[in-house]
Amino acid sequence: MKTINVKVVNKNGIHLRLAGELVKNCSRFKSDVRIEKNFERINAKSILSVASLGAEYGSELTIIVNGQDEDQAVSLLADLFKSGFSEGKK
Amino acid sequence: MAEHKRTYKVRDFFEDNKDELGLELLTSSIKGRLDITIPDIFRPAFVLTGFMEHYLHKRVQILGETEMMYFCSLDEGQKRDALKRLFSKILCCIIVTKGLELPDNFIKEAEKSSVPVMRTKWQTTLFIHTLREILDYYFAPRSTSHGSLVDVYGVGLFFSGESGIGKSEIVLDLVERGHRLVADDVVEIIKKGDMVIGRGREHLRHFMEIRGVGIINIMDVFGIRAIRIQKRIEVVVKLREWDPSRDWDRHGLDEKTTEILGTKVTQLVVPIFPGKNITVIAETIALNHMLKIYGFNAAKKLDRNLIDLMQSRKQTRRYLRNDTE
Repeated sequence: MKTINVKVVNKNGIHLRLAGELVKNCSRFKSDVRIEKNFERINAKSILSVASLGAEYGSELTIIVNGQDEDQAVSLLADLFKSGFSEGKK
Repeated sequence: MAEHKRTYKVRDFFEDNKDELGLELLTSSIKGRLDITIPDIFRPAFVLTGFMEHYLHKRVQILGETEMMYFCSLDEGQKRDALKRLFSKILCCIIVTKGLELPDNFIKEAEKSSVPVMRTKWQTTLFIHTLREILDYYFAPRSTSHGSLVDVYGVGLFFSGESGIGKSEIVLDLVERGHRLVADDVVEIIKKGDMVIGRGREHLRHFMEIRGVGIINIMDVFGIRAIRIQKRIEVVVKLREWDPSRDWDRHGLDEKTTEILGTKVTQLVVPIFPGKNITVIAETIALNHMLKIYGFNAAKKLDRNLIDLMQSRKQTRRYLRNDTE
């Protein structure tokens, strides 16, 4: 099991489009991916669960990955949050 | 999809439409030198007066009351010149409206140039309007496509996907639930304005092949309520075998389209695997499409809710932080 802490750098928070991006990326891995915010833990492969977090700008999230490809998953997710999902760059 | 260009033989045009348009042939022969190749008409009034710059001679020529009144006002010499100008180009045919009489020498000149002349009792504007519809339909871009077209709650869903993925089974399931089959396997598509309309090939209409069963006829099995002759294609549902490494659309915020005969049509790619109930998904696609047309977009609404929630949270937090009371 691997755990990392990330911060939402996107000004509008994790809105639906970004939630979609996140879910898509998490679904690429076999590992189980959970996100925790304010002691609430959700499944990161479900878009409505991610949307239920309402992760606004500046909020701190903990990502917990568990499975055979957890190393790749953690590094990809860390990059994703750091780069703000490359929002507006695509 | 294969597109084909057509020409309309004047003889075929006359035979196809003489009853509907009340056409009578004035010249001795319907055989001309030129087929109809474009769905447009031309009124050669200016050609009669002598202005030859823009003589669109390949179009169907229409002579109405204006042209004939002008022609009859000319003296014999001028009439001869006017006719010479009119027949100076190869024409496909001339149609006179309002049942107007033509002078003998007019028909003679037409026959000399092998231009069939027809007459209708119809009023000019109405005739032109109907003629344009007939020609537009005949010359409309068309193609045939592999897939199945079903009217689901009044929305035309076109299912595409590889052979054997289960299109026919989905169609059957939809028909069983009260929706209407337009065509299975081979769909003829015609463009009308910015719409694309699909229908089945005439002799194949409403026949289906179900693997392991053979050929069935949907109208015989399910009755007249289960079929429909043609339907506008509104959504293309592309069926794909489930592949976990593929990026499936998760929110539907961005509407994706595909082009059919140059018209943009909404397209959804739906994953399919054994035991998955695509019928219910198809019905939902149709209903959601209608909702979007009526201005209700669930994905956009949820996105808005989410953004509003995060915005208000930010404000509350700032308020609480600054509150030193």
